[in-house]
Amino acid sequence: MHNFATWLYATAPSLFLRSHSDWMIPTIQSVHIIGIATAVGSAFMIAMRVIGWLGVDQTLLQTLRRYGPWLTGALWVLLATGALLVLAEPTREFDTLSFWLKMALVALMATIAVVFQRSVFRHDQRWETAILGTAGVKWAALATFVVWAAIIFLGRFIAYDTVWSHVLPGAKA
Amino acid sequence: MDITPWLKLLEDSSVATTIRNSAYLFPSLEAVHVIALSLMLGTITVVDLRLLGLASKGRSAGRVSSEVLTWTWIGFAVVALSGFTMFTTNARVYAHNTAFLIKLGLLAVAGVNMAIFHLTAERTIDRWDRTAAPPIGKAAAALSLMLWVAVVFAGRVVGFTTTGQQAKEQAPPAASATNFDDFLTGGASSAPPAAAAPAPAK
Repeated sequence: MHNFATWLYATAPSLFLRSHSDWMIPTIQSVHIIGIATAVGSAFMIAMRVIGWLGVDQTLLQTLRRYGPWLTGALWVLLATGALLVLAEPTREFDTLSFWLKMALVALMATIAVVFQRSVFRHDQRWETAILGTAGVKWAALATFVVWAAIIFLGRFIAYDTVWSHVLPGAKA
Repeated sequence: MDITPWLKLLEDSSVATTIRNSAYLFPSLEAVHVIALSLMLGTITVVDLRLLGLASKGRSAGRVSSEVLTWTWIGFAVVALSGFTMFTTNARVYAHNTAFLIKLGLLAVAGVNMAIFHLTAERTIDRWDRTAAPPIGKAAAALSLMLWVAVVFAGRVVGFTTTGQQAKEQAPPAASATNFDDFLTGGASSAPPAAAAPAPAK
């Protein structure tokens, strides 16, 4: 993986991003942060509806029609801007434990977002009548807040993480 | 009035000193700042898009805005507190940083914009609660979205233009004052955790 990172670092697109990095990197990071606010904001509105603390004048299906596309769209924006940031400085990410933990949690949350939305669109009546009020689903919704917070923490720590270099000696000279 | 002594006082506080001497407290504050801004901007956007007529069109505008208002303010309180705490770690540098001053200016304009909305369009909300907001409400919403996006950009630039800098009287800025090259090569990550310089922020 370190060799791949070194190879990627030397490619033309990576070099291009770095040679314009004085404004490109802060700009991409800013778009990434706005993407985070959009994704987490949308996920918050959906989870709060599931818990029953916000938007209870709307059905779960209505809530998903309102915020689901924003969540999905923001996740794509995050994937694109995140890929550019990795491309600009691959060793910083690939040699970092925070990065891989973050990717694992992102994959988990993206999967949940897709499966949950599909399930509600197919079985909205069952969600409305049998599932929504249960304690289990409310706790699950609360748990998503913790995971989103962990993702943001890990993302910020990529820039400061030195753990992986101890795990893999020589990974970071 | 010269506020430098006050800024120095903030920098010398035990909280600021503790954060400077820790490898993980500053990034933790940055993470908390981003989590809280997600809550604040997410809920502000929900209201702004309703005002613009781009989303939640069928819902009561009053209900859409009032039910998320508490969360917007909780988010704002945490954003402001974490932001101020980060400011104290290197107050004299931030106070003279152009991007930081622009960010404060944008925040002030966003506050005025919100106040104008409360004093104008919101006063007549009963008349347009279930329909389109009046032009001044739409204008305030559009301005709000643009201002907050600009605030995020300015905030990110602050991190890039202040990293590794120290107030001049404390120590002259070394040739490597801005560690942007470290950022590019990943060198900053391997810096000793208890570096005397202000916590790296990128």
